[in-house]
Amino acid sequence: MRAFIALVRREQIEHRGAFLIAPLGLVAILFGATILAFTVGRVDARFSGAMMTLAPLRVFALGFLGIGFAWVLYLIATLFFYCADGFAADRRNNAMLFWKSMPVSDLRILLAKLVATLTIFPATIYVVSLLSSALLMAVAVITSNISTGNGMALFGNIVDIYLQVAGSTLLALVLGLLWYVPYMALVGAMATVVGRWAIPLSLLLPSLLALLEWVTLGGLSPIHTRVWNYLAYRSDFKLADGYLESWFHAEGTFSLSEFASDLIARIDWVQMGIGWLFAVGVIYLASEYRRRYNDN
Amino acid sequence: MTEAEAALAPIVTARGLRKKFGSKEILHGLDFDIPAGRIYGLIGHNGAGKTTTLNAILGLTNCQGTIRVLGEDPFARRANLMENVAFISDVASLPRFLRVRELFALLSNIHPNFSQDKAHSFLEGTDIRPEAKIKQLSKGMMAQLHLAVVMAIDAKLLVLDEPTLGLDITYRKRFYRRLLEDYMTEERTLLITTHQVDEIEFMLSDIMFIRDGDLILHMQMETVNDKFAQLVVGDEQSAEAARTLKPVYEETRFGQTVMIFDGADRETLASLGKVSTPTMSDLFVALMQRPTANPETAK
Repeated sequence: MRAFIALVRREQIEHRGAFLIAPLGLVAILFGATILAFTVGRVDARFSGAMMTLAPLRVFALGFLGIGFAWVLYLIATLFFYCADGFAADRRNNAMLFWKSMPVSDLRILLAKLVATLTIFPATIYVVSLLSSALLMAVAVITSNISTGNGMALFGNIVDIYLQVAGSTLLALVLGLLWYVPYMALVGAMATVVGRWAIPLSLLLPSLLALLEWVTLGGLSPIHTRVWNYLAYRSDFKLADGYLESWFHAEGTFSLSEFASDLIARIDWVQMGIGWLFAVGVIYLASEYRRRYNDN
Repeated sequence: MTEAEAALAPIVTARGLRKKFGSKEILHGLDFDIPAGRIYGLIGHNGAGKTTTLNAILGLTNCQGTIRVLGEDPFARRANLMENVAFISDVASLPRFLRVRELFALLSNIHPNFSQDKAHSFLEGTDIRPEAKIKQLSKGMMAQLHLAVVMAIDAKLLVLDEPTLGLDITYRKRFYRRLLEDYMTEERTLLITTHQVDEIEFMLSDIMFIRDGDLILHMQMETVNDKFAQLVVGDEQSAEAARTLKPVYEETRFGQTVMIFDGADRETLASLGKVSTPTMSDLFVALMQRPTANPETAK
């Protein structure tokens, strides 16, 4: 277990640029820009502070959700490129032979990469998203205080909203990662075999499979095949439907418990299990390829 | 197998080792044993099959035939085997994204036989600092670091595949001196391949020459010294007389004729010219140019 954790830690060190330094840099730039905007008068602290008092809790909830969503988009992009590149990164500079000189199997190394994809990288981005939201909260509370003098009165409610949204984001992140694990494993497995060519290949693969079915079994068009429909279903996490949509159109405060019970109820757990079996299968096949070919 | 039997058993055993890449056979059924506590040199020209042989020993490639390292099938049990086998495949193979201290910290968690303290002590007296980024080290420093890493692993077999490739003579000498002084013990076995054969000759206990996928020479260095002789003759009459003794190789250097003999009587040769033991590189060149290492004339 110690060796496995060290292998996950190795991934973190190797990819800290994309998963730690760049996000923190982005936060610093955005925070600096916000401060600068107030300082030079580009944004009026009194006006924006007054706006915050119109429907403060809703504004904050939307703000936190928006920030969380933006960071999830960043995470999806970086995880995709990590899987397409990081799984083949040991080939660089002959390093494959160095790692092969260690008493760890290829399967263990690839599993460590998959575990890093599901744990330490999303966790880092999640913490950065919390930091972003906290900074937003601080700016909003201060401007409200400047404008109305009672910004601090709302502070307790805002913190409550912050925690509700933070919990919801965490749950959505965890379930989303568990739902999409077969995609990540497939891209990682392809990268193990073809390196960075996994990027175009993983985008082409669904179309090719659908095209093959359409050619061999017929149908209205490649996008009206069983393969295409299944992949479309399997790609949809259905996060925006249900509670989130109804909360957006209705009034009321954001509730973590309602969001969680709704999301958990709408997840296709059988498909999630199948996805996991598929993920373990393709990672095993990729590890067998890696065991046999020492491409550098 | 009892402990005493295990101690006497060869570290590496190969029988009928064959490897094909596509339709081309690279190894043609190698048979050899490498006993414990020896320093082996595996010498061959480019494409002779040295690295493929090492890859078979290290479990990096699957071969036909039988190969056992420390009693285990290396391809099936590579991860387990690497607890007792260390190797340097290329000086540039260290992960470049790490700092030296990060590398040591990771290895102390990944490798049960790696000692961080030993690794640090091996770096004392070098210019390599724990905070240094590996990608910023020079090629020589990287070789020193890699050597420190493998020497800090308490392994029974150390395999070095061209470990000093691209290094200058100072680093090469320092590399091998360090290896001998700080690492080698009776319990450890060392297998080296290199093209700079003369530089490692002094430390070898055994030699294997591989040519086009066949082992053409496999013997202890003492036997090599007894079996092969080099004769330098200055006049054509002595050269003609020497040719009747069937040299395995002959060339002209600065107007003198240099011949290498396999199993010839040294006293007889001494009457014809100056006799010495051929260097490994001379012997290598001589044996690479004939079908087998069996006595056979070059002309």
